[in-house]
Amino acid sequence: MQLSQVSAELGLDALATPEPNREVRGGYCSDLLSDVLAHAQPGDLWITHQRHLNVVAVAKLREAAGVVFVRGLRPAPEVIARAQAEGVNLLLAAHPAFETAGRLYALLHR
Amino acid sequence: MRGWRADLHIHSVLSPCASLAMSPARIVREARRAGLDLIAVCDHNAAENGRYARRLAAGEPVVLMGMEIQTSEEVEVLAYFADEEPALLLQGELHAFLPDIPCDPDLFGDQLVVDDGDEIVRRIDTLLLSPVGLALYDVVARVEDLGGVAVPAHVDRVPGGLLGVLGLFPEGEWPPAVEIAPWTSLADAYRTWPELRQRAILRSSDAHYPEEIGRAWTEFYVSDLTLDEVRRALHGRDGRRIQPGPAVKENR
Repeated sequence: MQLSQVSAELGLDALATPEPNREVRGGYCSDLLSDVLAHAQPGDLWITHQRHLNVVAVAKLREAAGVVFVRGLRPAPEVIARAQAEGVNLLLAAHPAFETAGRLYALLHR
Repeated sequence: MRGWRADLHIHSVLSPCASLAMSPARIVREARRAGLDLIAVCDHNAAENGRYARRLAAGEPVVLMGMEIQTSEEVEVLAYFADEEPALLLQGELHAFLPDIPCDPDLFGDQLVVDDGDEIVRRIDTLLLSPVGLALYDVVARVEDLGGVAVPAHVDRVPGGLLGVLGLFPEGEWPPAVEIAPWTSLADAYRTWPELRQRAILRSSDAHYPEEIGRAWTEFYVSDLTLDEVRRALHGRDGRRIQPGPAVKENR
């Protein structure tokens, strides 16, 4: 499913969507970037509380379909600007991580 | 220039996770036993017990003011100061950014300010073992503004270490030096994180119990034991440098 469709289905806010047609193949939940580097798969939509600028670099390195910040935790403008420049999609969920992941899982496996 | 033995990460009884035996007096005694020339008492988001250790030690060993700050990303950063005032000022600033979670001593342990006469001065009620609501970048900038030196603690550790949490070093010059966990060998650290080769490596005990003080150390090759000299050594400037001691055998 395309990122733009996932975003619409889950009611996410688009913070930066330079690559709206990216295919979402799965999901990964983690706030530890070393763990994401080691275990996330290309095409995963990465669900996290972590808002440091390194999120953009890690998402790009792991070829994540995008990053979803949960519980309305909005990253700083510089993070959004960097994501736009690096071609990394950033989305914002109003729901907590558990619910966001549950909804994504249901959507991808229905 | 000569080598001085330093252990710059020692918790006191002000850290809920540290032993009740870790009074400033005991820390100084154990540091002398371990042959340390330079120490820093680094409690979680608190610096207060360092002042008493300093008074007791009277230069033997030299005691830097310090603390271990937990940032909003949950990265732990060691901050070192030459003087009490900026360290205590920063402690006050950080406490305004701590979440309002009470410290239940049965769950977390006691958080005690203990003076140079082993008397309890006060108990801190807000849990210190929480991230302050300040980002890493802001914490480092504030430490440096106050004349201090900031070094990421046990970078290889998950959770709490900069590389464990953030995966890679942030952009920019900082940090010139990093602390690795007491039990991580240099070979393992370099294998996992090749980018560590560009940085000076500091090893300290992260002692929470008296017998752990000095179990890990770093040699500082400096002209004297001042914060300015420590800063030069961490940056590798003017011929100053550091050399970490061997890894501790057992993982705790």
